[in-house]
Amino acid sequence: MAVKVVRRPELTFWEKLYLPQIFCGMKITSRHFFKNLFLHIAHLFGRLQHIPAAATIQYPEELRPLMSRYRSRHRLTRRDDGSPRCVGCMLCETVCPARCITIVPDEHPDPDVEKFPVRFDIDLGMCVYCGYCVEVCPEDAIRMDTGILDLAAYSREAMQLDIHELLDPELRKPVAACDLEFPHQCSVHGGEMKGGWEGTAVTPSS
Amino acid sequence: MMVDLMIKLVLAGIVLFAVLNLAGFHTWVERKQSALIQDRIGANRAPILGFRALGMFHGMADVLKMFTKEDIVPKGADRTLHMLAPFLSVFFALVTFAAIPFGDRLVIGDRVIELQVAKIDAALLYIFAMLSLGVYGVILAGFASRNNYAILGGLRATAQMISYEIALGIAIIGVIMVYGTMDLSEIVRSQGQLIGGWLPRWGIVVQPVAFVIFVTAALAETKRLPFDLPEGESEIIGYFVEYSGMKFGMFFLTDFLETIVVASLVTTLFFGGWQVPYLTPDGFHFPWGWEIPVANWLYVLFGVASFSIKGLIFCFLFMQLRWTVPRFRYDQLMSLGWKGLFPVAVLNVIVTAIVLVFFGEAS
Amino acid sequence: MPDVIIDGQEVSVPRGTTVIQAAEQLGIFIPRYCYHPGLSTAGNCRICLVEVEKNPKLQVACNLPVTDGMVVHTRGEAAEDGRRAVLEFLLANHPLDCPVCDQSGECDLQNFYMKFGLYDPRFHEHKVKKKKAVQLGPHVMLDQERCILCSRCVRFTEEITETGELGIFNRGDRAELAIYPGGVLDNPYSTNVVDICPVGALTERESRFKVRVWYLSSAPTVCNGCSRGCNMDMHFVLDRPHLNDGRRVVRVKPRHNPDVNQWWLCDAGRYGLGWIDEGRLGEVRERGATSTWDAALAAIARAMQESDRSRVGVIASAQLTCEELFLIREIFDGARVSAAVPEEPGACDDFLVESDKNPNTQGARLLGMAGPVIGDTTGGLGGSADVPDGQAIAQAARSGELDVLWVFGHDLVELFGAESAHEIAQNVGLLVFSGTNENATVELAQWVVPTAAYLEKDGTFVNCEGRVQRIGRVFAPPAGVREDWSVLLELAERSGRPRDSHEPRTIFAALAAAEAAFAGLTYESIGTLGAPVAGSAARVMSKAEPTP
Repeated sequence: MAVKVVRRPELTFWEKLYLPQIFCGMKITSRHFFKNLFLHIAHLFGRLQHIPAAATIQYPEELRPLMSRYRSRHRLTRRDDGSPRCVGCMLCETVCPARCITIVPDEHPDPDVEKFPVRFDIDLGMCVYCGYCVEVCPEDAIRMDTGILDLAAYSREAMQLDIHELLDPELRKPVAACDLEFPHQCSVHGGEMKGGWEGTAVTPSS
Repeated sequence: MMVDLMIKLVLAGIVLFAVLNLAGFHTWVERKQSALIQDRIGANRAPILGFRALGMFHGMADVLKMFTKEDIVPKGADRTLHMLAPFLSVFFALVTFAAIPFGDRLVIGDRVIELQVAKIDAALLYIFAMLSLGVYGVILAGFASRNNYAILGGLRATAQMISYEIALGIAIIGVIMVYGTMDLSEIVRSQGQLIGGWLPRWGIVVQPVAFVIFVTAALAETKRLPFDLPEGESEIIGYFVEYSGMKFGMFFLTDFLETIVVASLVTTLFFGGWQVPYLTPDGFHFPWGWEIPVANWLYVLFGVASFSIKGLIFCFLFMQLRWTVPRFRYDQLMSLGWKGLFPVAVLNVIVTAIVLVFFGEAS
Repeated sequence: MPDVIIDGQEVSVPRGTTVIQAAEQLGIFIPRYCYHPGLSTAGNCRICLVEVEKNPKLQVACNLPVTDGMVVHTRGEAAEDGRRAVLEFLLANHPLDCPVCDQSGECDLQNFYMKFGLYDPRFHEHKVKKKKAVQLGPHVMLDQERCILCSRCVRFTEEITETGELGIFNRGDRAELAIYPGGVLDNPYSTNVVDICPVGALTERESRFKVRVWYLSSAPTVCNGCSRGCNMDMHFVLDRPHLNDGRRVVRVKPRHNPDVNQWWLCDAGRYGLGWIDEGRLGEVRERGATSTWDAALAAIARAMQESDRSRVGVIASAQLTCEELFLIREIFDGARVSAAVPEEPGACDDFLVESDKNPNTQGARLLGMAGPVIGDTTGGLGGSADVPDGQAIAQAARSGELDVLWVFGHDLVELFGAESAHEIAQNVGLLVFSGTNENATVELAQWVVPTAAYLEKDGTFVNCEGRVQRIGRVFAPPAGVREDWSVLLELAERSGRPRDSHEPRTIFAALAAAEAAFAGLTYESIGTLGAPVAGSAARVMSKAEPTP
């Protein structure tokens, strides 16, 4: 078995003395300090804006640039008439490894559309952001391109998105401003119809 | 008599006010300085009425937080000592300032006021005594917590502080020998002389080796980086692991206070204290012949400013050092103290003695 | 008996057998759409193409009788090429939106295309639009675009129900399946067209678009709608309750049993299971207040021990399994026990539907708990005439002759009228009701114990022809609900008559040992298709008989 002997580098006298090395280090840190101090002051006066003084991204105000394939919060896409593209085929619910998608489909009044979701909920508390639902969707009805990353909530229930919030991601930002009820009653069971969307009158099939 | 007492109280008040505020300010400086060194922005939130003031209110927010946090005393801990330890820590750090002169005599009417809270003949001994007593805060904190990690941390800290105290003390012997006094105001005053008519006779000039040893040992004594093994809040479990709320805050405060103590001592012993080069009580006397007369109050003001600026520069340097040098390992710490600083300090004393004997008149 | 070689295997089959049937006997599956063993041969879908040696062209296996020395290749390149072409043709106008289609997952078009499909389609023209959601009848919905015109449903209405509602109209690519003008597909067997539809053209309106087929679990069971005991597969969903409004039973599919129901199931049986998930009794009640099983069984056992046996009455039910009836008979030995109650005979026909709407009347008769049927045609399988019937027990209860009366599932109000029921409740010391659903008797009974529906317990029924069939256990009963047999076993224990058995299998073993008619039968020998009791006229499945 070949053994490779790696010798610990011998320190020179000046290195062993330690003090010169400390000064070298101080030189580096001081260079950063004074350069950044100067830049910060220059920025205050509106100069040298093109040279950044810090690598920091001021998060809530400033968002990190996202990669185009980044998987952020889900949204449901719409048809031209504003109704969801989703046809309630439930492939996403099937493929979801976290089982965070809940769909209740119903018969669409337009027989050519056949199905539509009366209820489409995603429990973000369970979602693992694998993006399978996007991959599997035959209608390009669900996407993960909202760029919304912050998913804070005070309860598990509040982590659940319903069809309104999925269709209009802005509804959920900030969390406190959302007054939509959850979960929605299933129309099939005679409950109140809440899965509809403006523009299309939906009548429960009977 | 009453007036003297009032004057002393006012002086003590000024020192306490300045030092405590400086310690608070230190937290902000530390945050911002480390941020700049590391290409960050640093804490810049905690606004009051929308004003962020470059994050300066974070210190206040911290204090508020610490006061409102739950104060936990571990089950089975010695409640009295647990309570006492942080107070001892802060107390000994604060009383050290009493002996440090921050300006020359101020003459108001016929009254001469020493700008020093307590004029002690053996002020250096007093300071050392107080700094050494700071160990009690540490060891008591470790002992009273009824936590094996805390007591180990306390022992570690104690060992470190006692080890470096020796080097610290011996380094100072050189200074005492050179100036022939232990009275700090006398030491400062004798630093006002000039060597060869132009070079101020500061400690750094006559005792450079002692300066290096003193700074190193003092950093270790105050448990600052690169010798912060006893604390190392996030990495190593230290003696104050069982402290929360403002009690923890007091240990934290001690940390900053001691930095200021060390900065003041270095200024006093090695950088002329309140001395301004070429400034004598009656005005500036530059070696190239210029002379500018200065009133007594202005002279004292210059002195106080000089002391403050030097002190702040050292605070800054220690901070800079903190964010430059990585932490020592414990065995390295001990070997540096005993095998490096101690012999060098002793050697320094011997060399100084020899030089004084042979060239005593010259210096 | 011509000998034929299919895919290298030789088989000897009766004259007139088609290649597809001969292959089936060898275990070789030939794809089919229009061919159905229960219907006449149409030979119009052409998917069952096989290669026959010395024959220049591919032949349809469903319509090709075997001849001696015939050599058939079902899996050759030529046959698969032919199927690929047929599939391309069938899909020319078939919408390619499988994710939306309710059949996907159990669709033959999908399955065969996966196997033989032309994955790079050449068809770029617009598809012919047809009607999408046509209501054919109360249960069936038609999607004309998805129809591949195999005509199975048309032949079903012509040959099995002989109602002939459906037809194929127009020609060429305009040809479409439709109902004759003015007609409605509402015959009692109409939903069978959904089962035999190989694609998603015909769907059940009740379960359509509710649950994707891959979410369904399936378990074999027997219909309890009438004494025919049709075999069926219960399709249910437990882990995604939102899909079916919380109901567990999603749909019912007939299970092939050549001796009972062949491939078919009547609509009444298919849709008669709503009670399983609705209006169920959920907890033990004592005079309307929630109680515990422990308290109920202790009280009943005490009452039984304290009263004279002759003053105990049990109105059992022909809805109970043989095992439970047997336990009742043994435990209430000496008491007045009957499983027969005066019920109006229901609708019947000459195909599957029987007028006796209880699944286990024959079992009750064999156990001596019900009298013979009037005009007995089953060849002497009836019970003895001296069995007290429910009416007599009710009468005894009404006149105060009984201390304890246990009613299994029956609604006394419905059977004897509200007045009689109230009198019974007043005059009986302890009225116990055990059952699955809320009814008027629940209000009257002192103790109400909730018991499992037949899908929730194991056991056997004996159908009208004397065939013992196992009902299996499809899913567990709801929380707080117990199977009748386990209640009875515990009661036996508490009243000092413990039984050796602890589960339906062993109860049935004891039953088989005690009753001559069941002698020799075990759950294994009953299997999934059932077994006739001794002396019954039930058909015995013979392998030699060719399937029609």
